[in-house]
Amino acid sequence: MKFHWFNLMPWPYLPDDFTEKHRSVWVDVDSRLFDPVKSNRVYNDYLDLLEFAADQGYDGVGINEHHQNAYGLMPSPQLMAATLARRTRDVSILLLGQSLALYDPPTRVAEEMAMIDCISGGRLISGFPVGSSMDDNYACGVNPATLREKYLEAHDLVRRAWSDPDVFAWNGKHYKLRYVNLWPRPIQSPPPIWIPGGGSVETWDFCAENHYNYSYLSFSGYIRGAQLMDGFWRRMEELGAEFNPYQAAFAQQICVAETDAEAQRLYEKHARYFFSRCLHVHPGFADAPGYRTEATIKAGLQSQMAGQSSAMNQAAQLSWQDMIDKGFIIAGSPDSVAEQMERVARTLKVGHVVCLLHFGDMPTSLCRYSTELFANRVIPRIRPIWNEYEDHWSPRPMPKAERAVPRDCPGTPDETAATVAPLARVV
Amino acid sequence: MELSTINVGPAQRLVHYYRAGQGEPLLYLHHLLGLRGFEPALQNLASHYDVIAPYAPGWGLAKDDLSDIDPGALDLTLHHVDLLDALGLSKVNVVGISIGAWMAAELAAIQPSRVEQLVLVNPLGLWLDEVGGEDAFAQHPGFPSRVLFSERGMREKFLIEGRDKIEAHVEELLNLRAGAKFLWPIPDTGVKRRLPRIKARALVVTSERDPIVPAAYGPAWQASIKDAALATLPGAGHIAELEQPEAFSTLVREFLN
Repeated sequence: MKFHWFNLMPWPYLPDDFTEKHRSVWVDVDSRLFDPVKSNRVYNDYLDLLEFAADQGYDGVGINEHHQNAYGLMPSPQLMAATLARRTRDVSILLLGQSLALYDPPTRVAEEMAMIDCISGGRLISGFPVGSSMDDNYACGVNPATLREKYLEAHDLVRRAWSDPDVFAWNGKHYKLRYVNLWPRPIQSPPPIWIPGGGSVETWDFCAENHYNYSYLSFSGYIRGAQLMDGFWRRMEELGAEFNPYQAAFAQQICVAETDAEAQRLYEKHARYFFSRCLHVHPGFADAPGYRTEATIKAGLQSQMAGQSSAMNQAAQLSWQDMIDKGFIIAGSPDSVAEQMERVARTLKVGHVVCLLHFGDMPTSLCRYSTELFANRVIPRIRPIWNEYEDHWSPRPMPKAERAVPRDCPGTPDETAATVAPLARVV
Repeated sequence: MELSTINVGPAQRLVHYYRAGQGEPLLYLHHLLGLRGFEPALQNLASHYDVIAPYAPGWGLAKDDLSDIDPGALDLTLHHVDLLDALGLSKVNVVGISIGAWMAAELAAIQPSRVEQLVLVNPLGLWLDEVGGEDAFAQHPGFPSRVLFSERGMREKFLIEGRDKIEAHVEELLNLRAGAKFLWPIPDTGVKRRLPRIKARALVVTSERDPIVPAAYGPAWQASIKDAALATLPGAGHIAELEQPEAFSTLVREFLN
């Protein structure tokens, strides 16, 4: 199995009365709650955590894109990926991902991802989500009626821009470019492509057709997720795709302590911060008219009639034990967590886990503790699951010895240090 | 009343429409939620006019036509020109409400000699920063059109009651999807630049309790049309013809007479 350490980068200073005084954490969230001076520490702490995770032996470090969102401080995941490309050595850079329809021309995304792949020596995983309604339609103003068309066209354009060695003209419906000629181009041809999705059949078919990884990113945990992933695997079988657990990734909130009781004492309040404040989204922004297809609308209404809540913050009212029992969070001692993680792997049949080891307003030191315990005492026990399958969805970087190393990083070749040092003294 | 069908335009697009009444032809262009049959307000008008009420591409039975129509004004307006051609109507009176009022104004601007009289009720399509307006497309998906009515419960009364709940709700969401395509993300369609082309004698109507098109938009529409009067519907919400069929049809009839 592969484990990716992922950070949403939530704003940790939402007030206690946030859910009473404000209608949404997203789109029209009160900007007065953001303090640029405090953000200096927040951003650097979060980047430190990602770099720390890289040192702890996680397979990848993950970031994503949100706009006008107090639980996700990364409007540009590329910026985060760029600094990680320099400050980490071997991990995959899981950019999960960039909403293609937001960028005109979308070749900008192809260019930036190529830059990151080049700088990192071929360590990029490129995620191409359609994006949420809050981000795409409300914050960025993309017409929901044409969002999916634009997304698919942008995808085709990016793929061709990465691979076609010749200048070509793109005369699409939404994008018209007389001269497409990407410069630079990615080391990997192409970087592995992961498609974050929320359960639409169209996305499953898209992954099957293109041999992409399907990443189910929800905050409702592995028990609710199992039903959806069953649907995914059934569909893959129908389409004749050969089963490989690495073709799927699943995001899960996880926290580890020495004992189960200690886990509750340490993490419960941060989980509550996340599930209540961070997921407090105005329902009017959840689903712009036209964002979902007719079939998905019907399925959604039917499951609501059957009593299943679709609210993002449905875990907010649960007890700690219920959060665990319902799978919203995996928490406890290394033994308990390993046992729950094995259930995730086996029931969802996923090879990649996107580990949400930081959530809500969790302090950096506590997050390091949990990250370290998971790396040292959980991962080794579940690592061999799915060993019999080959992972076709991880990066294929340049050989380590050939990769460039930034001058002040550990592992810098001595001769570089020797040439730089005297010059530095002269200056 | 049974729906009629007709094929229009070079693509022979199928249009479903209601038609009833005697008198001069009156084209009625519906609001964001489409048509609830041949509604009471239309029945009232049918005693004085030959009322033609089509589904616009994207709404109701025409939901699958949405993808063939570009978000701007041109495709939709040419569609209505094609419809008039197919019906053999050289001159018409046009009554539009909500997004239908925008479509009506575009039609009257692009074929000014064809539209003799024009009534625009709660017209969407023009945006004033200082007035703004509630976002019809950022509502709770459980009751997305509640805001289009002046009172709670009217959504259920007019759209859901007596029908399969899920079917009615899906139709409501798909109708809003069609409206959103033309009005996303701000209902500024650029129609303001074309309004001075209108030759029709016009009436602009706003509803007193419409948060989507606040009454302050009335004078703005009026000011851009050469010959336009202004009226208000007291107590009504955005979907005024369902809420107040009598007041609505009386206002229209008195103006047209």
